Amino acid sequence: MRRARGAAQPLEPAALLRSRRILVCVGCGGVGKTTVAAAFGLLGARLGLRVLVLTIDPAKRLADALGVGALGDEPRPLPPALLARLGVPPEGRLSALVLDMKRTFDDLVARFARSDAERERILRNPLYQHVSDALAGSAEYSAMEKVYQLSESEDVDLIVVDTPPAQHALDFLEAPERLLEFLESPVVRLLLHPAFAAGRTGFRLFQRGAVRVLQLLERASGIGFLQDISEFLLAFEGMSQGFRERARTVKGLLSGPRTGYVLTTGPGADATAQGCAFADRLEEAGVGLSGLVANRMHVWPGAPCEPKAFTEDGERALARSLARVHGASYPAGAAARAALALARGYAALVARDAGAIGPLAERVRARGGFVIRVPEFDRDVHDLDGLAAIAGILAQERPR
Amino acid sequence: MVTGKGGTGKTSVVAALGFAATRAGRRALLVETGRDENLPRLLSHDARPAGYAGRTYEGGLRSMRSDPYEALAEYLRIQLRVPGVVSRVLRNRGFRQLMDAAPGWRELITLGKVWHLEQQKDARGGPLHDLLIVDAPATGHGLTFLDVPRVVVSAVRAGPLRRHAGAVEAMLKDPRDTLLLPVALPEELPARETAELVQRVREGVGIAVDRVVVNAVPAPPFPPALPDLDARLAALPRDAALPGIPDPAVLARCAAHLRGRFELAREYVGRIAEWTALPAVELPWLPEGVRGPAELERLASALLAGERA
Repeated sequence: MRRARGAAQPLEPAALLRSRRILVCVGCGGVGKTTVAAAFGLLGARLGLRVLVLTIDPAKRLADALGVGALGDEPRPLPPALLARLGVPPEGRLSALVLDMKRTFDDLVARFARSDAERERILRNPLYQHVSDALAGSAEYSAMEKVYQLSESEDVDLIVVDTPPAQHALDFLEAPERLLEFLESPVVRLLLHPAFAAGRTGFRLFQRGAVRVLQLLERASGIGFLQDISEFLLAFEGMSQGFRERARTVKGLLSGPRTGYVLTTGPGADATAQGCAFADRLEEAGVGLSGLVANRMHVWPGAPCEPKAFTEDGERALARSLARVHGASYPAGAAARAALALARGYAALVARDAGAIGPLAERVRARGGFVIRVPEFDRDVHDLDGLAAIAGILAQERPR
Repeated sequence: MVTGKGGTGKTSVVAALGFAATRAGRRALLVETGRDENLPRLLSHDARPAGYAGRTYEGGLRSMRSDPYEALAEYLRIQLRVPGVVSRVLRNRGFRQLMDAAPGWRELITLGKVWHLEQQKDARGGPLHDLLIVDAPATGHGLTFLDVPRVVVSAVRAGPLRRHAGAVEAMLKDPRDTLLLPVALPEELPARETAELVQRVREGVGIAVDRVVVNAVPAPPFPPALPDLDARLAALPRDAALPGIPDPAVLARCAAHLRGRFELAREYVGRIAEWTALPAVELPWLPEGVRGPAELERLASALLAGERA
């Protein structure tokens, strides 16, 4: 199977951006995913596309990288003059948006509530105040809901989504189902409809235990725990039909042919192991990776060499050369030794990064995805020139 | 209470603190609060999980993972004297889905467990653990986590929960009992997030914080006697024939890269100390990563050296 699929010509980044409506950038925290997402956005604009980069991270990282200051609820376009300087043709556009997840969830409730009273009841419920934090992944779901809304806009060709660093890779895809499963779970249903459980002995036993624990918590806390939960669920139940349909549509869009996924990993064994786990989860869920960006890789800055073969002759020649240029008083012997020790260390870093990413890169290629290595720069990348440099790397490097 | 942005190596720092505490002759218990257990594979070559019951390593160091449901069952059993039927209910999937939606209790029960551990006595009536090192959730979540007892105390008027939350809050806010230790990296985003964290702790949460750990700080590329070797390598003639070794331009580029990362790290160590107005304890960058006891020993030495400095 591997060979059959590997025969497919990998889609290069430029072709991927041209053929997709949504590009989802996934990966663990701290690997530079936000920067890579912004660089894909810039590359899209350079290809003449109207691109929106959406970040879900509450930190203002994308704002920093794009130099647009605080981002609001509306996409903020980068000035055309600035884009032109970055090699974007006149028809290309780039805007950025930091998502307010809480507000998106409120919008969702507002849309599916059957009446103003129901909407108010939900929004004011103390439990609702916490629901987007508490239900694992509901924040991510809100984000994807927003992506769906934006994808219906005629003004945008491509949406690049920077996903939040999730403990579980697919929170954003699985969240709607988890929410629905929760709403339909037996405990919730018995709280809503105590009669549902009548006549089922095992269930009645459980019901007695569950209600007892809840009463204890209520007594210990002095909070109207049961009442809050029941009210929240009753209010939410009414909207669950509309919510369910919407969740299905959003999931359809995200697993459809016009959505691509790119995984970003960092250097070293740990970051790569996390990346592999991520790829596993995506694969289990039937989501194919269009590409892998191995970020912050150490790259050997010259012709390939074998540090084990560094010769004493070479070291002596280097010492002679140093002494010739910098004078006899310079400790050339020690300097040559230190320079070669540094080169060995650097070669080990290069080998470490290449070795760590190798199996994952092989796997992504075998499934028809591209692999791009972005070298670690000497400086941090937080400005547009840095983004432009990465966009260049994304565009030029051909899959091997 | 150790916290930090994701990817800063917070768990490695917790493990290294455990090694340092053991060397200093203190009986430490490391407490994980996340969904997965990462400490056992760092602390020992045998990665079997410690679980809620905990496990003891060489030298008497201990670790555990505080699962909120186990802590809740224990709380209901001990504090409220509720019989064993509780555990069965708590294991039920539907009940868990309901509890998963309820806010705050996970944080409160986890901190309650820490309080309970702090109260435990050994056979002679002394404290069972000299030091509890908690791998708290990442920055952002970390502060919400530590702020829950205060919120409960202000929201609940009476009852056992208020009493218990009050005890936990008192423990957290007593600087003789609890210190918050932020872990940063010498890079732009973690540095900024650490500064924000420290500011918010000072403004509201009210937990003592007296230093910051800056993890993975690279060493200078060359020994002190050769401070400008990178520049001198770059000045060598490009066509110098050096048998069997990379040409000088390549050596200079390797050095320039490591020099750049070193100088950047120095800048951010300085900025972190300045932005937080706290001393920064530096831990070295280990190119091979933190894989197990060997690397933890090195980090523990750096922590203890930083303490003396």
